[in-house]
Amino acid sequence: MAGALARVIQGTKSHLGIVGPLANINNVPKRFQNTEAPPAKSQYGPLSDCDRIFTNLYGRHDWRLSGALKRGDWYKTKEILNMGSDWIIGELKTSGLRGRGGAGFPTGMKWSFMNKPSDGRPKYLVVNADEGEPGTCKDREIMRHDPHKLVEGCLIAGRAIGARAAYIYIRGEFYNEASNLQVAIAEAYQAGLLGKNACSSGYDFDVFVHRGAGAYICGEETALIESIEGKQGKPRLKPPFPADIGLFGCPTTVNNVETIACSPTIVRRGGSWFASFGRTRNSGTKLFNISGHVNTPCTVEEEMSIPLKYLIERHAGGVIGGWENLLAIIPGGSSTPLMPKHVCETAIMDFDGLVACQSSLGTAAIIVMDKSTDIVKAIARLIMFYKHESCGQCTPCREGVSWMNKIMYRFVEGNASVKEIDMLWEISKQIEGHTICALGDGAAWPVQGLIRHFRPELERRMQAYACAYGPSRAERLY
Amino acid sequence: MSIVKILGLDKVASFFNIIRQNGGIRGSLYKLYRQDELKDGTLVGEDKFGNKYFENPRYFYGRNRWVEYSDNYNMNYDGSQVPAEWFGWLHYKSDLPPHKDPARPNYPWMAEFTENLSGTTGQYTPYTTTRPKVEPWVPERKSTV
Amino acid sequence: MLRQPLCRALALSSPARAVPLASRSYSNPVPAEPEKVEVFINDKPVYVAPGTTVLQAAAQVGVEIPRFCYHERLAVAGNCRMCLVEVERSPKPVAACAMPVMKGMRVKTDSDLTRKAREGVMEFLLVNHPLDCPICDQGGECDLQDQSMAFGSDRSRFTDVHFSGKRAVEDKDIGPLIKTIMTRCIHCTRCIRFASEVAGVDDFGTTGRGTDMQVGTYVEKMLLSELSGNVIDLCPVGALTSKPYSFAARPWETRRIDSVDVLDPLGSNIVVTTRTNEVLRILPRTNEEINEEWLSDKSRFACDGLKRQRLVTPMMTDSRGNLMPVDWEDAIVAAARALRDCPPNKLLAVAGDMADAESLVALKDLVNRLGSENTCTEQYFPLDGAGIDLRSSYLCNTKIANVEDADFVLLIGTNVRFEAPLLNARIRKAYVHKDTDVALIGPKVDLTYDYMHVGDSASVVKISPRGPEGSALLAYTQELACKLQDKLQDKEWKVLNVLQRTASQVAALDLGYQPGVGKALQDGPKVVYLLGADSGVVSRDQLPKDAFVIYQGHHGDAGAAMADVVLPGAAYTEKRATFVNAEGRAQQTLVAVAPPGMAREDWKIIRALSEVIGERLPYDNLDEVRDRLSEISPALVAYGDVQENNYFAQARALAQSLQKPVSGKLDVQLKHLEDFFMTDTISRASPTMAKCIQAVLKQKDSPY
Repeated sequence: MAGALARVIQGTKSHLGIVGPLANINNVPKRFQNTEAPPAKSQYGPLSDCDRIFTNLYGRHDWRLSGALKRGDWYKTKEILNMGSDWIIGELKTSGLRGRGGAGFPTGMKWSFMNKPSDGRPKYLVVNADEGEPGTCKDREIMRHDPHKLVEGCLIAGRAIGARAAYIYIRGEFYNEASNLQVAIAEAYQAGLLGKNACSSGYDFDVFVHRGAGAYICGEETALIESIEGKQGKPRLKPPFPADIGLFGCPTTVNNVETIACSPTIVRRGGSWFASFGRTRNSGTKLFNISGHVNTPCTVEEEMSIPLKYLIERHAGGVIGGWENLLAIIPGGSSTPLMPKHVCETAIMDFDGLVACQSSLGTAAIIVMDKSTDIVKAIARLIMFYKHESCGQCTPCREGVSWMNKIMYRFVEGNASVKEIDMLWEISKQIEGHTICALGDGAAWPVQGLIRHFRPELERRMQAYACAYGPSRAERLY
Repeated sequence: MSIVKILGLDKVASFFNIIRQNGGIRGSLYKLYRQDELKDGTLVGEDKFGNKYFENPRYFYGRNRWVEYSDNYNMNYDGSQVPAEWFGWLHYKSDLPPHKDPARPNYPWMAEFTENLSGTTGQYTPYTTTRPKVEPWVPERKSTV
Repeated sequence: MLRQPLCRALALSSPARAVPLASRSYSNPVPAEPEKVEVFINDKPVYVAPGTTVLQAAAQVGVEIPRFCYHERLAVAGNCRMCLVEVERSPKPVAACAMPVMKGMRVKTDSDLTRKAREGVMEFLLVNHPLDCPICDQGGECDLQDQSMAFGSDRSRFTDVHFSGKRAVEDKDIGPLIKTIMTRCIHCTRCIRFASEVAGVDDFGTTGRGTDMQVGTYVEKMLLSELSGNVIDLCPVGALTSKPYSFAARPWETRRIDSVDVLDPLGSNIVVTTRTNEVLRILPRTNEEINEEWLSDKSRFACDGLKRQRLVTPMMTDSRGNLMPVDWEDAIVAAARALRDCPPNKLLAVAGDMADAESLVALKDLVNRLGSENTCTEQYFPLDGAGIDLRSSYLCNTKIANVEDADFVLLIGTNVRFEAPLLNARIRKAYVHKDTDVALIGPKVDLTYDYMHVGDSASVVKISPRGPEGSALLAYTQELACKLQDKLQDKEWKVLNVLQRTASQVAALDLGYQPGVGKALQDGPKVVYLLGADSGVVSRDQLPKDAFVIYQGHHGDAGAAMADVVLPGAAYTEKRATFVNAEGRAQQTLVAVAPPGMAREDWKIIRALSEVIGERLPYDNLDEVRDRLSEISPALVAYGDVQENNYFAQARALAQSLQKPVSGKLDVQLKHLEDFFMTDTISRASPTMAKCIQAVLKQKDSPY
């Protein structure tokens, strides 16, 4: 889900091209606007082992408290907490960490929104562990093998925003992960790291785990809040944003698991350390999930801005049948537009690099498809997923996505009119940006990516169908 | 032209003939009262209601066929009491009276002839088939008498 | 959605919460007017208060933004997306109904982007909306129909080559009033929001998601609310339509006559829809002071009772004691003879709950001319102390609309939910939006909101060391109200409110009728004139054997059944007549249909009767009757206005002489929903109301 949010930044940016100088509509500071800034270095990746944040990503070591302590978690947490919220937020701002859930909103800034004078309401931190985006499996690894990173991150993030408690909303299907996380939290409570006077810093903080019931839409932050409140998981209107009125009507920050889990290491090693990876505006390390037609699918922590081809060759053992056998790649989870092979050659895996390729980093879940793939059917299947997961609240998504689904499945067999390709494009444009949440956008982009790059393939199928069965009935109807 | 005709004695003869045919003086006066005219003629037939049909070619066309309504009707006779089969003969549509006409259809489904009941209690009154817009209150009857 | 933890949380920190109830300030100091924000709608500048939505700002300059889910009186849902407009410097179109204005915002309501967005949403809405407008009851007054004319495409792009068809949804059974055709639903959720916010029943909701989302009650059950009919008006399409009115008429064939409802004491404003001299349905008419735009189910659906059990002809008892139809002449002469021959102290006139002011004044004038003072109403009201001499003692002085501003509401011996459903909706609104506290003395009933139940013993009212039997209870309530008033900062605020239960009572008391028939009945009246008195307080058993009963009214019910002479009058849809509602607001009904059969307007019958008796009443037309009304009280003809009444202190002084002990338990007549539907002659004659009671009783047996 979170990947679907990626376009928020992208949309504003393209728009700013026209009215850029006047813009105050998004809160991105000036330095982020400048794409021309020369990168500090020209070679990105591979990441050296000493710079890895998630040192137990593959579960080779003990995930419980004793193992976590050995890996350096909970080290001097009290001192970090006592540095105060401004210092923590300052470090985060220096690090340039952008939200790892897909939208890529600068985390330091997000946290600083919470530092308004209190009006008596408690504040909450909500961790979005509803990792439902097809292709994405990074949060699962963290919670399964490194839960203490997340728990400690909750405490530090909670301190930074002045939260009273953290709610971790975990996907219902993640049973083992929820168990591990619950064990980790229990251990932390027993060790005095959480609860009253957490880490003997004089700060009270609680962490609760809330298990979802299997709805993709609950990964949207406001739907997630609704779900925690016990209502149907349907996104709220924004404004008001959760920072004003969120969980139980109180100011709330919703962050992705990875964002929270890497924050303790960032404050411990310093924001400038984190900022030294990747290009400016896209700094840091990132978990990449590589799945699909590669020799060794894996989840790997790498430096941002690593070239896509290099990432696949180095960590995933290359595309099955060699790079020449590549058809297309979906770079950031199912809701991002796909990229054909010639784009993938030069694609840089960071927020700006993929926007330049008319795609998006999303959750960095790389889905590789080789030439054996029926690309139309693959996208149609994704649309079916979105049709199934649409919450039904607002019209364009409810009606539009199921309509797109019908058309897509006709495209698979070619039983359609060539004119319908443009119509499908228009329908996807009618959905995009007209919905309450970003699910509609996320459903529209894969279709747009398909039409943008594989229009000849669609037309070929229609011709083949017409040769075999005569002209499609759609030809007459439309 | 015979002397009888010149003297008009044939008129006298037919006068007496008419009176005789109509049942003497009393009968003739009664018929005159009931029908306003006295005619002599041959009885062509009688329908099942008791109406008698006469013909006398001596009278000019248009008056040479007539009906004497059954005594059952008393003075309440009218033209609609002539049944359909006799109507044709009476109005010169046919010269064959119904009982002598073999071509006349007679099916079992043919309805019984009825006279025009307008103005009587048996008359047809149109009625509405829609429900009344307002249902009036019907008070409960306190005594059954 | 409302009264959410946020409001509670905010209130917790506010100082008002901490101080004890008694010393709370009962009026908020008027907050300083916030500075207005300038926004531009299509380059037209408009100044609006901050927090206004774009849609409201556009409405101020006369730009109507299409909408389905947005409704002024409900929470914002923002899910139909029909109101998307372009805002300069925003990459995406924004939902005008939910977006608060910001300084210098430039909104374009007819730009290409806006138009494209609307067309897109309209196309999506029509994808699964059935094309059954010709057989849809909403046809002609359907928002979707109207807006698709304005924003829809002229042809379909829907290439359904597999003939999979449109979405079909099973219809729900939610009671005898609302017909559901759920395939037509466009999921605007107005009905859900109305049910949970205004009506206070959380039975409606959505199940399923995506295309499979359905609006309905989660389990099949009746919508147990006295305001359920309003969802029919709210539904922008034909998904929820009126069951009694189904397939009856099209809106363009009907005549609409503005009128006033008389089935409850509030005098809700209504529109009577008629065709060919027949009342087809009744709709609410917006009046912010009284009913906003809601209407209770009884007022809305009991109109089919106007067509049944009617008195259409004068009647007289024959020698066997059976009522037989007679001519007006005979009936009037018989009634006149009885009235003339009756000794004045043995004459009693009783006014029922739907009598209009004109007939009330005519009857009272007639009875007075015959030398009697025995004019009563059926409803009791204490006469001791100030009694009915001071108008403020028997009115809703605060006015209905101002209930929303109350900080604390104390209900004594009333189930306001069923006695005045729309007043209850106001109290609920205050409870939800303003955190008004409500307390109730009386039997525990469901008011659709939480309240503090103080007990059902009347002695609770007695709060002072020195302080129901009717009058004493009223006296103590007056005492209580005055004490509270002394503590108020806002001296204009009126604390004491008396909610009458019938539409005629206030006018009758204004005209000098005695409330209650108890004393008059004990005198053994010889001639009883019942003006629509059907509630059973006068019965044959209480009258002497030889008493002569004249009944004038529009329905055959208890009153007509015991009468010796029946004079058929007109119901409220059939006459131009004045009614005064519980807050003392005079309003008039208009003639929507002609009285059935030989029935005539009520005051004219009495006027004719007076002439036969020989005591001719000095008015020949309606204007002259109203002149007579204004002679008695100008408030009776000041249509639409409420006069301020402020004699609480005097009433209190007069009441202080009463030192009766207060005991007994307070009870209300209408406790449950099934009691609500049949309370007067019209609703008792209505088959729809009978079906409602059946359905409610059936629902009570169901496990849900």
